[in-house]
Amino acid sequence: MFAALHNAFDPALFWEYRVALLTGLLQNIIIFVESAVLAILLAFVVGIASLSRHGAVRWTAIAYAEFFRNTPEYVLLVWVYFVLPLIIGTALGTKVKLSPHVAAVIGLGVAYSGFLSETVRAGLRSVSYGQTESALSLGMSGFTALRRIVLPQAVRRMLPEAVNQLVSLFKSTTIVSLIAVQDIMYQVSMISVAEMRPVPLYTGAALLYCVVVILATQLFQRLTERWRRRGWA
Amino acid sequence: MIENFNRFVLANIGALLDGLWVTTYVCFWAFLLAVVLGLIACLIRMRLPYVRVVAIAYIEFCRATPILVQLLWVNYVWPEVFGFPQTVTGAGIIALALQSSGYLAETFRAGFEGLPKGQREAALAVGMSRWRIVSRIEAPQVALVVAPLVINQLAVVVKSSTLVSIIAISDLMYQGLKIVNQWYEPIEVLTTIALAYFVFLFAISRIANYAYVHFQTKFGIASSQ
Repeated sequence: MFAALHNAFDPALFWEYRVALLTGLLQNIIIFVESAVLAILLAFVVGIASLSRHGAVRWTAIAYAEFFRNTPEYVLLVWVYFVLPLIIGTALGTKVKLSPHVAAVIGLGVAYSGFLSETVRAGLRSVSYGQTESALSLGMSGFTALRRIVLPQAVRRMLPEAVNQLVSLFKSTTIVSLIAVQDIMYQVSMISVAEMRPVPLYTGAALLYCVVVILATQLFQRLTERWRRRGWA
Repeated sequence: MIENFNRFVLANIGALLDGLWVTTYVCFWAFLLAVVLGLIACLIRMRLPYVRVVAIAYIEFCRATPILVQLLWVNYVWPEVFGFPQTVTGAGIIALALQSSGYLAETFRAGFEGLPKGQREAALAVGMSRWRIVSRIEAPQVALVVAPLVINQLAVVVKSSTLVSIIAISDLMYQGLKIVNQWYEPIEVLTTIALAYFVFLFAISRIANYAYVHFQTKFGIASSQ
């Protein structure tokens, strides 16, 4: 029993490679932060555009959200890595090469901007239209009304759902190893090839992710609760 | 562009359709297994006081681990530790099912907890057994409430199933990447695959939306408060 468990997960092996694994985790976190910023920026633009008065703008935004919500992240990632440089290169008439890191950030950012834009849209719609109307009748411009009246309330209501989306974005950052970004799963597969013992490392990676994700979820939920109560967001 | 489309996509349409079939097959079994596992985990968590902890740990583990990690874990670790699955297809199905069963268990639990408590008390008062209460009173109502969310989970399974290509299950993504690696002409093949997945998933999300809007009224049961 103990031997089987030891074979399934060997902490000593994990400790031995701690530097490589932690560098990998750091890489995951960097990609997570960069793609989260990209996704949030795009999501606000698309979410606001999807409630526009102009039909063309509205439908473009809705089509964007539906497309990126319904295309698998891995397919998008591979598409951005292989196809996007060729298209940009043909358009500019030069050879363009995207580094795996940039491709990963663009792919994940764009994929999650689809999900997040729905969150933004739902949040904006939850603020009653009467408030926009009264802001406009006080002489605010449309943009000021959005910035000063609607967005502060909407953002507060979006937070719990946005946290869920960001957690799943963090989980998705594992797939960047497939386009050779040197993240934690990349390190794990390199080490298990070198050691010829995949079993303990994969179990360790699974447990590590489990702990990191549960801790991060708890932390973010606490933080957003506090923001909501103090009215910072 | 058209030339390349003919050469790389249409010439290999047989392989791509085979891949689509494998994707469908894997997703179907994974989804079925996920619903069963999710229901079991949910009922254990709600109704069995002493083993509840095990169900909670299982659900949290499934939800907090990325699908890629689970896939590699099941593929490499399970055969050595548990002696199964023996094929990569089995590993793919189990990993996808694990991931979704955690989410589905929580969805089912939300459905059960949304029911008014009085119904359960009334059923106990007229002398129904616990199992009968679940099967006759609660499950039919919960099924209608959670149907849209469960269909959405099918979309998640299909999305995650793109990753099974990396453990050499010959699904749509695998066939596509094989053609790309053979000719090094990624534009047409990868775009076609992205669009194919989009159509597949968009259809599922429309069905979920239909279920969300119409199921409650159509089957004539009042929605739970």
